[in-house]
Amino acid sequence: MFQLADFSVSFGTATALRRATLDIRQGDRLGIVGESGSGKTMLALALMGMAPDAAKIGGRLTIDGQDMTHASERTWQQMRARRVAMIFQEPMSALNPLRRIGDTMMEPLIVHEGLSRAQAQARVLALFEEVGIPDPAARLRMFPHELSGGQRQRVLIALALACNPALLIADEPTTALDANVALRITDLLVRLARERGMALVFITHDLAAVARTTKDIVVMYGGDMIERGPTAQVLAAPAHPYTQGLLAARPDPTVPPRDATGKRRRLPTLPGTVPPLAALPQGCRFSGRCSVELPQCAGTRPTDHAVDPDRSAACHLLGAAP
Amino acid sequence: MTAPLLDARNLTRRYRLPRTSLLHPAPVLTAVDNTSFTISAGETLGVVGESGSGKSTIARMVMAFETPDAGEVLFQGQNLHALSPYELRLQRQKFQMVFQDPFGSLDPRRTVGWSIAEPMRAIGADGDTARRTAEALEQVGLPARDADKYPHEFSGGQRQRIAIARAIVTRPALLVADEAVSALDVSVQAQILNLLMDLQDDLGLGILFISHDLAVVASICDQILVMQHGKPLESGPAAQVLRSPAHAYTQTLLKAAGVST
Repeated sequence: MFQLADFSVSFGTATALRRATLDIRQGDRLGIVGESGSGKTMLALALMGMAPDAAKIGGRLTIDGQDMTHASERTWQQMRARRVAMIFQEPMSALNPLRRIGDTMMEPLIVHEGLSRAQAQARVLALFEEVGIPDPAARLRMFPHELSGGQRQRVLIALALACNPALLIADEPTTALDANVALRITDLLVRLARERGMALVFITHDLAAVARTTKDIVVMYGGDMIERGPTAQVLAAPAHPYTQGLLAARPDPTVPPRDATGKRRRLPTLPGTVPPLAALPQGCRFSGRCSVELPQCAGTRPTDHAVDPDRSAACHLLGAAP
Repeated sequence: MTAPLLDARNLTRRYRLPRTSLLHPAPVLTAVDNTSFTISAGETLGVVGESGSGKSTIARMVMAFETPDAGEVLFQGQNLHALSPYELRLQRQKFQMVFQDPFGSLDPRRTVGWSIAEPMRAIGADGDTARRTAEALEQVGLPARDADKYPHEFSGGQRQRIAIARAIVTRPALLVADEAVSALDVSVQAQILNLLMDLQDDLGLGILFISHDLAVVASICDQILVMQHGKPLESGPAAQVLRSPAHAYTQTLLKAAGVST
């Protein structure tokens, strides 16, 4: 359905997204994982046709076989909502505080599908029921501030589902939520994707959430897709040194903070921080912070190497191995 | 056994909410209800809970920014809330705080050195601030010459190091860290947690570490206190609470941290 081929987004000399290649099919649940500045949000915006105007775009994006790379805003308006919808990180700021929930919810149905107010309202009530909002009729008359964070995120999910999108992009949907609310939201997203046969792109830096939610995973660093494969396999045995470092740096609650002699256990770390886009190394984006350094790392970009038939990672180490 | 560094006894804090009716008294929210804990020198207590569970209210009472409605905070045997404003100001050098947002907690128009030295000036000890500032910067792994730079020249992780330098410049005995690593990327988060552990070993700091992330708390805390709706749910040695959580809520937190129970 959605196809990115060698898709790049750059601003002057800074490349926010480099030669991204991605195939999203019906029913896929794909996790995009990376730290700030890795290009994951730029990828989401590109899939929605919302890359900033100042950006230079290269490569190709096709949706249902239609080339959308340089599509006009008009064409995108047709595409959005009907084929692809997005939910954002901040459930506080994504809803207009001056409008009642019901009015916000009915707008896309009236604009995109030409429903009457009564028809739209019936659809909204059904959607609220589907995403588990209690007492939906009363919620319609409420303002955003009268709902809790979790309820607001459910409203946004219902809003995104209003026109039956084929793909739902969730950009850090659980980051601003409490742990137990986040669990319920990820469960909801998985259930909706299954029941509707909808594809889900789940963008996050939370490795625990991505493990619960997705079937496949793409790890990003410095605008590059550096590792991809089935979520369970990548998280169990990561191939790229960055993915390994990221997983190791995540504290493990089952390991006590002191060893048997009372000495503290230090957490494994990745040295340094993600450099700004314009200052990324020429060769492998991760060189300089990587635990392994081959002679070609600093100067040459690594290409994707197969780890298994359905897994690959962009690292010179894998190319060197027989 | 020596007396604990910090002894919080039966802390309760209530807030009056806006009135909903002219005919009824304003409703009252009990943000923290009858909560007790102790922290010894060189030990870390982790307080976990969701938003609204009372974690930050505990931090504010320990820092004497707020007065409890009942209970007392004994710091080195002294009741903080019974001190005169002048005495409290002098005591403040012994307990300092690190905040969540490394972008909002530093004045963008002042050099980093100025911000780090601020607690020194507040207690009127500005004799050798330059040397102490340089020392604090080196303790958090930054070069002393960074004192002349401005906050925008640093990354999020470096700014959090600066915030920690500001907290330790007065050589405190207790550090209160409220969600101090929550805004940081995973790889940087581990660096800051290691820094806190190193500082604790070097300076013998007691740390009150507040977080919603049980995995983070588990990695550095000796004792854990789980809060929900202002009430202490369970507490004890970290290993014990994590191995056999008594409450369903603690199990939920563990599940969210990626541990299947």
